[in-house]
Amino acid sequence: MPSTPLNRVLYVEDDEDVQRIVRLSLERIGKMTVRVVSDPLQAIEAIRQFGPELVMLDWMMPGMDGPTLFRKMRELPETRDCPVVFITARAQQRETAELAALGAAGVISKPFSPKDLPDQLRSIWSALP
Amino acid sequence: MSAIPTTPSDAVPQAPGALHDASDARRVLADQVELLYRQAPIGIGGALLVASLIVYELYAPHSRELVIFWACIALLVAASRFMLVRAYSRDAAREPDPERWLRWFSIGALAEGVSWGFAAAVFFPSISDEQRVFLAFVLATMTAGGLPLFSAVWWVFALFAFGVIVPFEAVLFTYGTRLFSELALMIPILLTINVAVAYRLNQVFVSGFRLRQSYGRLTQDYTTLNLQLEQRLAELEEAGRQVETSGRKLALFAERSPIPIFEFDWNGVVLTANPAAENLFGYSVAEMIGKKGTDFLFPVEVHADVLAKWSGFMRAGKPVVALRYHNVRRDGVELVCEWSITPLVSPANRVQSVIVQGRDITQQLEAERMKQEFTSTLSHELRTPLTSILGSLQLINSGVFGELGNDVAELAQVAERNGQRLLDLINDLLDIERIESGKLTLFSEPLALRTLLQEAVNLNKAFAERFNVRLELSADLPDVRVNADVKRILQVMTNLISNAAKFSPAGGAVTIELHDLGGEVRVAVNDRGTGIPENFRNRIFARFAQADATDTRQKGGTGLGLAICKRLIEMMGGRIGFADRQGGGTMFFFELPKYRAD
Repeated sequence: MPSTPLNRVLYVEDDEDVQRIVRLSLERIGKMTVRVVSDPLQAIEAIRQFGPELVMLDWMMPGMDGPTLFRKMRELPETRDCPVVFITARAQQRETAELAALGAAGVISKPFSPKDLPDQLRSIWSALP
Repeated sequence: MSAIPTTPSDAVPQAPGALHDASDARRVLADQVELLYRQAPIGIGGALLVASLIVYELYAPHSRELVIFWACIALLVAASRFMLVRAYSRDAAREPDPERWLRWFSIGALAEGVSWGFAAAVFFPSISDEQRVFLAFVLATMTAGGLPLFSAVWWVFALFAFGVIVPFEAVLFTYGTRLFSELALMIPILLTINVAVAYRLNQVFVSGFRLRQSYGRLTQDYTTLNLQLEQRLAELEEAGRQVETSGRKLALFAERSPIPIFEFDWNGVVLTANPAAENLFGYSVAEMIGKKGTDFLFPVEVHADVLAKWSGFMRAGKPVVALRYHNVRRDGVELVCEWSITPLVSPANRVQSVIVQGRDITQQLEAERMKQEFTSTLSHELRTPLTSILGSLQLINSGVFGELGNDVAELAQVAERNGQRLLDLINDLLDIERIESGKLTLFSEPLALRTLLQEAVNLNKAFAERFNVRLELSADLPDVRVNADVKRILQVMTNLISNAAKFSPAGGAVTIELHDLGGEVRVAVNDRGTGIPENFRNRIFARFAQADATDTRQKGGTGLGLAICKRLIEMMGGRIGFADRQGGGTMFFFELPKYRAD
């Protein structure tokens, strides 16, 4: 279990409305510091700069999908150990199992409840080794 | 022959040696007796004629009573024998009992003989020498005449002849002169010869009858064989016609089949093909015959695999179905075909040829892929805006951004609730689509139902409270486990509980029970509503089923919930149903097989 409470979260998502809701939820209800990235191709660079404690990824995005970005992160030393939570509309059991096999820390299905989202992330965070 | 034998064993003709024995001795005897009776009227008539002659010749005043007495005896004997012949000819059952009729006939023959012997005995002493010669001659004639008439059974003749001769002999010896005595000495010789001849004749008759019977039997056997041959021939002709018809049918099946059909030999060389095969692959039958299937039907990269599999199938000699392969048409276009291979195996277990059918599933696969893509896209594309709508409304309703006016708060709640309903509908539609296309995978594991039901109650408590309904979990739940998908059981429970809550009167309770039925476990959800209308009962588990069209709006729900529940429970090997609850309301239940660790 990590010693500090979850604070810095980076979210890669192409839909601006969903971005806004997640940001509001995490900042206003969860009192976290949030950085949102719209373009998955710029995500690696943004992670390097921002240094998040946890990264949230959408699955389907133009340019590069979530799982591919995740694999890329796993290849790079600076992003390799950063826990990743997927937030996706494709959260069927098969996909969840696929993401778990890739090494995802958690999967949150869309639509999610913005009221409960900070708690969901914190419980994933506290379950990390 | 009374009936045509129907089983082959009946039809086996007897061995030639058996034919002679087969002439039944009783039937030969019956034939002999019949001959005796048939000839009897001639004898009776002849005897009467000769008797009249004797009466005429010997009638004299001094012997009048004697002659009349004898004539009466002769008449009586003739009448009795005549009655016997009539009785015989009327007896329908005479054949099975020839002994009885022979017995009576022999008594008649003896009486006939004795009546003539008696004539000699009583007339001989009192008549003139001339008349004696006449009488002796008559007696000799009678004896000789009896030979053809009675010798069908030699001892009947012997009885008759002894009846005639014995009294005559006695008279010849007692009253006669030296000449008569000498005659008396000759008569036994004549008698012996006559009996011997009768015996011989008897043999001839018997063998004649036997021959006749054997011949009759042969004719019967021949007729029977002939009939059987005709029958077999008719059967063969019919079988031939059937084979021809089914051959034509088969040819027609192959010819008109929309599915390509090939016949290959053991090595995979085309023997024949149907028009559908021509159409699909673009080669004429003539071009395909003699070619190896791998050389023109499959792309090069799968040749080795196809050949290896083919020889495996030929070794096994068993039919194989649903083999998917990429194939190539004459114009180079690639197809996907599903092949089924059926070897024609000889009784000696050798593959004679192989019937191979290939169904072009290229379009089907493409349609499946498009449907899957559509569903997946729909799911994503609909959920993304819903995520924003529901998320925004939830954030507004959470109060984080300040209190709203009463009307605005109410409207925002209406918007959120309906957004949620839209989401439920999408989820249900996707579920039913996945179930029906066989794409839904269950992740089954042993589940403790007690804990699961508690969780289901907790999850649905808030929903029930909206209808002012209490959820009650019965107190003593048995500790039973089932092998099931936890998420899907919760989905079913949520459906059943939310239905029960929706249809319960305000202030009522929904009770959830768990019963151990031995092999199965039953989960029951009871409501205290008005019950299910009669005309809705048989379609309650159908898709988009709602008791009342207005219910959807009043109560919410998609009409898919119970249809999904039914399919999910059945996929987990259980069954779902409902019953009227005692004391009003309805009990919905599902049963699942109990999990056993072994």
